[in-house]
Amino acid sequence: MSHAFDASEFLAGFLVEAEEHLSASTMNLLAVEASLRKGENNPRAVRELFRSLHTVKGLSAMVGIEPIVDIAHAMETVLRKADRAAGALSAKAVEALLAGLRAIGERVRALSTSAPVAPAPPQLLDALAALEITKDEAPITVELDLEPGLLAKLSDAEKAQLIQGAENGRRALRVDFVPSPARAAEGTTITSVRERIGAMAEIVKVVPLSIPASDAAPGGLAFALLVLTDATDEALAAAAATTPEEIQTLHARRVDEADPLGEPDSAEEGVGETEGRRRGIVRVDVARLDDALERLSALVITRFRLARAADALAAQGVNVGELCEIVKGYGRQVRDLRGSIMRARMVPVAELLDRVPLIVRGLSRTTQKPVRVVIDAGKAELDKAVAERIFPAIVHLIRNAVDHAIEPPAERQRLGKPEEGLVRVTCFERSTNQLELGISDDGRGIDREAVARRASRPTPADDAALLDLITLPGLTTLDQATKTSGRGLGMDIVKRAVLDLGGELGLRTTPGAGTTFTLLIPLTITIVDAFSFVCGEQTFVAPISAIEEVVEVAPEALVRGPSRHSQLGEVRFMERRGEIVPLVNLASVFSLASGEEPKALVVRRNGTPLAFGIQRVVGQQEVVIRPLEDPLVKVTGISGSTDLGDGRPTLVLDLVALCGALSQNRTEVAA
Amino acid sequence: MVRVGGRVTEILVVDDSKVMREMIVACLRVAEDFTFTHAASGLEAIEKLALQAFDLVVLDLNMPDIGGFEVIEFIRGQDKLHHLPILVVTTRGDEGSRSRALGAGASQFMTKPFTPDAILANVQSMLRPDGAESP
Repeated sequence: MSHAFDASEFLAGFLVEAEEHLSASTMNLLAVEASLRKGENNPRAVRELFRSLHTVKGLSAMVGIEPIVDIAHAMETVLRKADRAAGALSAKAVEALLAGLRAIGERVRALSTSAPVAPAPPQLLDALAALEITKDEAPITVELDLEPGLLAKLSDAEKAQLIQGAENGRRALRVDFVPSPARAAEGTTITSVRERIGAMAEIVKVVPLSIPASDAAPGGLAFALLVLTDATDEALAAAAATTPEEIQTLHARRVDEADPLGEPDSAEEGVGETEGRRRGIVRVDVARLDDALERLSALVITRFRLARAADALAAQGVNVGELCEIVKGYGRQVRDLRGSIMRARMVPVAELLDRVPLIVRGLSRTTQKPVRVVIDAGKAELDKAVAERIFPAIVHLIRNAVDHAIEPPAERQRLGKPEEGLVRVTCFERSTNQLELGISDDGRGIDREAVARRASRPTPADDAALLDLITLPGLTTLDQATKTSGRGLGMDIVKRAVLDLGGELGLRTTPGAGTTFTLLIPLTITIVDAFSFVCGEQTFVAPISAIEEVVEVAPEALVRGPSRHSQLGEVRFMERRGEIVPLVNLASVFSLASGEEPKALVVRRNGTPLAFGIQRVVGQQEVVIRPLEDPLVKVTGISGSTDLGDGRPTLVLDLVALCGALSQNRTEVAA
Repeated sequence: MVRVGGRVTEILVVDDSKVMREMIVACLRVAEDFTFTHAASGLEAIEKLALQAFDLVVLDLNMPDIGGFEVIEFIRGQDKLHHLPILVVTTRGDEGSRSRALGAGASQFMTKPFTPDAILANVQSMLRPDGAESP
């Protein structure tokens, strides 16, 4: 089984990094040109250019953009020579390199708009190849008074940079930094030290040195930073977590000949790397989008308040026709804005599932079971936050399928099954705000009796009861059971992940033929369309997605249940399109004063319907759910609170979870 | 420094390009017992190697501050890191770097672009004490 590398997943990141390198390279080339006018070389800028082009070349090769590889390679060759010649670049070379950057830029932009990428222009490649780089300076006859081990780590250009800097009146210094776990814990690492020193000095080179390990240097490591600066020793010492006495001034001394240097494989990063221009694609921290949503929540609440104010005016006999139109328009605008922000947070499910073949491949290797994976995610998209939370559950189910459900090849052969097992991951949008993910296998199925035996529980009657059983937290450690039952490892974790998202987990299994888990998950979290309603003289809201139907309750059509529920009082039944639906009074579930219940909300869990009797429906609106963070106030059936514009918290009900809790109770009562 | 049965395998991925590190991790993430630490520069890599234990290093050669060759030289100069497997992954077309990297002490050398199969096979074979090829 081989897997192709899907470069498209990394294209956005490639475009961003390429733009950053192009932007920094343009700045550096202009800096070289400016130095050139002053009759100087700019070895630092040349080294940065070399490094940028080398990186662009490598990245382009990975994502398969050959024209950019060709151009970057030709430019890199020129820059490598220039670096060896202590940064000498002619005006003609600068021209050709600028043309090269433009040519790469055009191709990167074509890529970002999915336009075809033109091949590398031959005349440009020829012009770059024809450039001659000559070392236009006398060889170095001045050497720094550094220990030989350190000196050997410096290239010609770096030495020249230090010496030139010192000659121009700056101080050339060596500052040592000794890393340790304690310092790392405080955030003092070579990366942060380099940044701090970089803000007050030109860092020419950082050299790692092995030193005897001691309490002060548990890693047996020190970094020597060679810098040019006007800053004080005290400031530098503070930045490197050392003392001013430890800072060494570098002096130049004349030597008879300079030793030739090796290949300049390393390059130094610029002081303050230029912030890249970003075209087409922006990487945005999800936290920023969350912040935008948070602000949008305030607008949603303002809309409720406006509507209430308009109603109040209308009650006083004021003509609010025009105002109502404006409020409606405002509502639409807020909804559109919410849609835009939500779309920015969406990632294709196919992208999320990209890693699945790799995972299956790894599992297939370790278990020695040949497994084929089929993924059908279509064009479905999912909120980034939901995707991150649900992916571990998907991986868990896939791992269980390969590890436990799919039989070893010999057994499959005996059973007349194809030797290669099959894992299928499907995904489709079930509604505008729900996604159904399916993870199926063609393995041995789950043996209800075996699971029940292991758990010392009665044999579950159906798949729903079996699912409740295998997702019991106590069953997680029964890894032996999985050999015979085919499932059971950490299923409670999977269930938790799905439920935490307000989703639903389903199971369908056929012994000998296979198992399918379905995960119903919301496309987005935070804001949902909800019904608000009154029961027990209190207002509640519940997401519309959870409610199948709002029905009128006809008292004469109700049938009394056989027993009184300990908690709920009477359970009655109503007929709905030929189906018998249990009806419970929602107010009594929450121990509120229960009165008339002329309406009912029908909720379905695992295919079984349940109706909750309520007083009246108030309306339908978008609500912002604020989760109840405090575990002490976490109650089954309550997913959070919201503000309907009156400034008071209104509880958001999770009727599906409530339904589950109640049906468990009913089973217990029956048993 | 080879894998001890059952323990997670700690891999240090060193490349100054974030996308490249992500691509490498995506290729290697197959194995569930691999955990990854990123280093965006040779300096960061050396600091992490001095302070933490790793089972394998995936190393780029061309990086800011100090390059991959210096990282290899540093690793091979340390007694406790002497046997640490180093997989050098660098941009193609530079045969000189291959011999130089292997000469400096890299365990394996591969060029970008690489395929996920190739890098995974390399890593897995390097983690096996007997150096056996993957099935």
